[in-house]
Amino acid sequence: MEKVNISTILASAIHESKNQVGTLLYQLQTVKESLGKEAPQNRKIIQIEESLKKLNDEWVEYLYLYRLASDGYELHPDTFLMEEFLDDQVFALSPSAIAKDLQLSFDCDPKLTGCFDERLMTAVVSTAVYNAFRYAKSKIVLTALEEKNFLIINIEDDGPGFVDDEEHHHHDTLLDDNTGLGLYFAELSASAHTYGETCGYIEKSTSRFGGACLSVHLPQTS
Amino acid sequence: MALQDFSNKKALLIEDMAEARIMQRKMLTDFGFTSIDIAMKAETAIELLRSKSFDVILSDYNLGKGKDGQQLLEEVRHSALIPNTATYLMVTAETSIEMVMGAIEYQPDGYVTKPFSQAMLQRRLNKLLETKERLYKVNLALDNKEHETAVSEAKIVMEKYPSLEGKCERIMGDCFLELKEYKKALSLYNKTIKSRKMPWALFGKAKCYYLMDELDKAEKLLNQLMLDNRFFVSAYDWLAKVLLKQDKAAEAQSTLIEAITKSPKNILRQMELGRISLLLGDSITAEMAYRKAVFLAKHSCYNTSEVYLKHLESLARIADSGPLIARQKDNFDSTLKKIHDGFFDEPDSRAKAYEYEMDICIADNEISTAKQIFEVWLSDVSSAAATAPSKQQTDRYSNAFGS
Repeated sequence: MEKVNISTILASAIHESKNQVGTLLYQLQTVKESLGKEAPQNRKIIQIEESLKKLNDEWVEYLYLYRLASDGYELHPDTFLMEEFLDDQVFALSPSAIAKDLQLSFDCDPKLTGCFDERLMTAVVSTAVYNAFRYAKSKIVLTALEEKNFLIINIEDDGPGFVDDEEHHHHDTLLDDNTGLGLYFAELSASAHTYGETCGYIEKSTSRFGGACLSVHLPQTS
Repeated sequence: MALQDFSNKKALLIEDMAEARIMQRKMLTDFGFTSIDIAMKAETAIELLRSKSFDVILSDYNLGKGKDGQQLLEEVRHSALIPNTATYLMVTAETSIEMVMGAIEYQPDGYVTKPFSQAMLQRRLNKLLETKERLYKVNLALDNKEHETAVSEAKIVMEKYPSLEGKCERIMGDCFLELKEYKKALSLYNKTIKSRKMPWALFGKAKCYYLMDELDKAEKLLNQLMLDNRFFVSAYDWLAKVLLKQDKAAEAQSTLIEAITKSPKNILRQMELGRISLLLGDSITAEMAYRKAVFLAKHSCYNTSEVYLKHLESLARIADSGPLIARQKDNFDSTLKKIHDGFFDEPDSRAKAYEYEMDICIADNEISTAKQIFEVWLSDVSSAAATAPSKQQTDRYSNAFGS
């Protein structure tokens, strides 16, 4: 039998599953509407809806991860007003934040623009925010700024922060709830953004609120 | 972000799946649209776009068996069936988005990936219409073909809204090309490429070099673009143009064949392959390309007599080296019938149809039939229904009839 490329098969299987999640979301929407806004089942339905959305976003992340890792992703950079970009991310993820009683907001200079691949960075930010949802105590803040020809997008929370020592390695490995995979994805996405000889990277640090801060650095022009 | 008033806007929804169509229609109604037309496939959409004007077009990428959303967009933009002031929003799945983004030459104004919530669609539409409003004067100038005005308006918009810089520069580049100001276009593209390696800027630069007759440079850039982006089939089309100008028709032909393997449903590409193949005397390939073009023409913006006549011509050229086989004859008759049905009131088309029909008869040694056709032709000439045969043609026919 001819040897098959298992990662390609997995990628297309993920794609199929993702489409099914999409169909489920549509059907759920119909159910929600037929029940009306005041129905007692609504809380549960919203929970299911948010879980499905998260699943969908995760599948998207894995698909991009597959393409980035197999060199099949073509970067489509464009210029964006950062305030709008962050506002979009907060808008898309707010229902999940509300369902978890967390505050999600953004902060940036209204004039700041940046050049990057929107779809990829949307997936990176949502992955990071979903991850922060699990650790944050009360809030997650997105910020963007420009520093030394790099656009920096920060995802900050007020959770316990990144734990790097051997004993508490759980925050940082491939095996723990995909946190490591998420970081790997962020790293691949950042480094796919190049300008001349410079390429993007990620940085982990402590946030202003004592929690974790993931910074995505993307090269820009002077 | 100010909320748009959709109630006075006309929407066209193109979606082949019933469930999604009902859902999206409901969403549009909820946003306040009062005029919503529906098309289940691209072909119907073209008919609607011909007869009515729309402000917002929401089209799925995947439209079943016929044309996909991207081909529809390319056709209607290329033939100016929708004005630049109208908004085209593409609904895509995660897999098809690369085809849309990769098209570079004709991109939708925006896209939304499935699955999306009502709130997400509303937000996207609001933003897109806001951008269209900001670019209104630029797009209006483009629709009126006032390219100089478009450039100066784009400069104003860029100054006011820095995030629209990319869009404006792109429009300015296109305008400079239209105005034949290749040096200005080149320096604009170079400036963009220096700060960001935008595919549209590289493509623009390649077009500049082609138009400035610096063919080697154009060839190099197009090859680079093809390497960078395997979905960007227009780069092949332009490479074929470059090769043709360099007198490398055979290479141009194989480049187009490669492009057609990637994207077979583009009628203009099939026509170009037919044209180059005829130049090369390869009537078999020409016939294949024109036959596909005839098939694609029916529901397209390019449904002109030329498509059908060229198909007949390619069959006539095959007949030059011997009678047609039965299948080819059937093809000839079927296309000839389409000319009779659709274009027989054009004197030139009518004359050409007679010419090719006679060629086929002569190849078949059916001289009496050819004679009859010639008589009908001449009588049509006297009633001004057909263009007269040239001296050369008349000589050729009397030669054939005499033998």
